[in-house]
Amino acid sequence: MGEIKWERDFSKTIEKAKEMGKPIYHDFWFDG
Amino acid sequence: MNAGPYSDEKVQKFIEEEFIPLKSQCFFDKRTDLMKEFDITWTPTLLIHDSNGKEHYRFVGFVPVDDFLAHLKFGKGMIFFNHYRYAEAIDQFNAVIEQHPDTGVAPQAIYYHGVAGYLKTHDGKELRRVYDTLTLKYPQSEWTRRSQPYAQITP
Repeated sequence: MGEIKWERDFSKTIEKAKEMGKPIYHDFWFDG
Repeated sequence: MNAGPYSDEKVQKFIEEEFIPLKSQCFFDKRTDLMKEFDITWTPTLLIHDSNGKEHYRFVGFVPVDDFLAHLKFGKGMIFFNHYRYAEAIDQFNAVIEQHPDTGVAPQAIYYHGVAGYLKTHDGKELRRVYDTLTLKYPQSEWTRRSQPYAQITP
């Protein structure tokens, strides 16, 4: 499978989710 | 980079197949608009949105793979539940109950499985079954205590 292909833009992700009829898994992360 | 649970093939496959995966970086010295919109105060905070972007479930902090998968399936179930799609919600809650019985969210899945069953059938036995199952399998769980009123329903 390799790596997960992450989206980075919330608005574009919603458009993609609507097109594909899928829910969104949203990871809020901190690089610290 | 896919670290932690994301390095697990089962997690990768489930996320890729069942969701559109999205990452949003947090900056605590200058909170982002998305952090403000979703009240993000700690990381990782992991949200399940429907395809319109509405949040239906969240969990906070690192969890092991089994718990992680259980949260994802439960979150999917809550989307169906909140959209009154009880049969599909029951399928998701069943997946948690049967595939991840030792996880923290499993008692909650039993509770919502019964509530969805009741809302689908209007049969009080669905709620009594919640109390019986939780009492037997998870006697220490808060969800067992929440189901206490259903003990009065005739099985």
